[in-house]
Amino acid sequence: MTPRAWGRLVVVAIVALIAQVGVLDQITVLGAHADVMVVLAGAAGAIAGPSRGAMIGFVLGLVADLVVPTTYGLSSLTFVLVGFAAGLVRSLPGDRDGRSIQLATCIAAAAVGTFVYALLGALLGQSIALDRQVVVVALVVTLGSVVLGAPAVETVRWALSGADRAEAAHPVPSGGSATR
Amino acid sequence: MASTTRRASQRVTLLMLVLASVTILTLDYHGEVSRGISRVRRDVLDALAPVQRGIAAGLHPIGDVAAGAFHYGALVTQNARLRSELGAVQSQLAENRFAVSRAESILALEGIPFVQNIATTPAQVISSPTSNFAYTMEIDRGTSAGVAPRMPVVSGRGLAGTVVDAGSSTAQVRLVTDQQSSIGVTFGTGTRASSAIAVGQGVGEALVVDQIAGRSPHVGETIYTSGTDGGAYPAGIPVAVVASIKTGAGGLTTTATATPLVDLSALEYVDVLEWLPQP
Repeated sequence: MTPRAWGRLVVVAIVALIAQVGVLDQITVLGAHADVMVVLAGAAGAIAGPSRGAMIGFVLGLVADLVVPTTYGLSSLTFVLVGFAAGLVRSLPGDRDGRSIQLATCIAAAAVGTFVYALLGALLGQSIALDRQVVVVALVVTLGSVVLGAPAVETVRWALSGADRAEAAHPVPSGGSATR
Repeated sequence: MASTTRRASQRVTLLMLVLASVTILTLDYHGEVSRGISRVRRDVLDALAPVQRGIAAGLHPIGDVAAGAFHYGALVTQNARLRSELGAVQSQLAENRFAVSRAESILALEGIPFVQNIATTPAQVISSPTSNFAYTMEIDRGTSAGVAPRMPVVSGRGLAGTVVDAGSSTAQVRLVTDQQSSIGVTFGTGTRASSAIAVGQGVGEALVVDQIAGRSPHVGETIYTSGTDGGAYPAGIPVAVVASIKTGAGGLTTTATATPLVDLSALEYVDVLEWLPQP
């Protein structure tokens, strides 16, 4: 990925963080709110594949963790797994580059990511009870990802567009670390 | 062959990133690094505060509409002004009832401060919980206004939470429903007074009132901060209303659930009590 693509991703992450804290956190349903950061991590995996999805998820997690009171790094760990898992769907046989597939992957990643976050948080001693509220949160986050998914996919696609072209112009030999 | 190499490369990348995340997690448990991270977080929240304040002012109606759509006919049917007035009246009634019924006991317990004598700092709630799993809110007053960690936060109806972190212009408040929230409470008066611990169970969930010493509470009874749980809160702040009683096997233990008096989902303004626990 080019420095320019990374720069755009960082800008996307910061704008998304402001939107999360300023807007999405204020709209709660059943005590939970949508989470654009996990949706972006899922979108990154769905578009860029497992390795780059995990890397982008890591960065998104570091940014997201700046405003939540849980242990720093918990979102990073979760989003790495989310980005990687979403990227694996792209690696499956068949046409996995369609927007509807990417959107579906994104939504599924948001749902799974919420459970993973709760599970890891509980394992790490955070005050997260693995009870019905986790299901409620996952439901709200999933519903939110239905709304946020398409814009997230398009935003990540825009941020990575230059990177794809640059890598096409300078192909890495088979087996290189930049392969998807 | 290429596919195998690619998969191996992906696994290595995943492993490296997981290790990096775990390292960061570990560092956050280390005192000095943790303080550094907290400082950065406070600075970020302070920087975001003006944006949040502006957006929150414009978005409260949208949030209410969104919430109303989901809670129609059940919970959100009153407007903010009526809730505020009702809260103030109920709070006054609760405080008066507490003051009258507990007069003898309070007079006998020197050193326990009266809530009415404590100076307060009014603050606006500028952010609901930023995490779906940690029930904190952000207010627009920080150390520059005299707000400090461990100060109790109340609304017109009772206890809302405790300040857990304070930047220069904002502070994080842990809500009473957070699972790390544990409050020493009391109910009843005179020889019928009992003490217990009220523990948060997560957003939307009732508090669990456990470790009851003395008689059991009855449904509908208001519980107050006891002021004796290591001095974490001043005495006499209304906390919750008992919603149900559960007696354990053999009738030896009793646990109650209690609904917080403060509607934590609709808080807009709060008072920070300029009161710190005694060392």
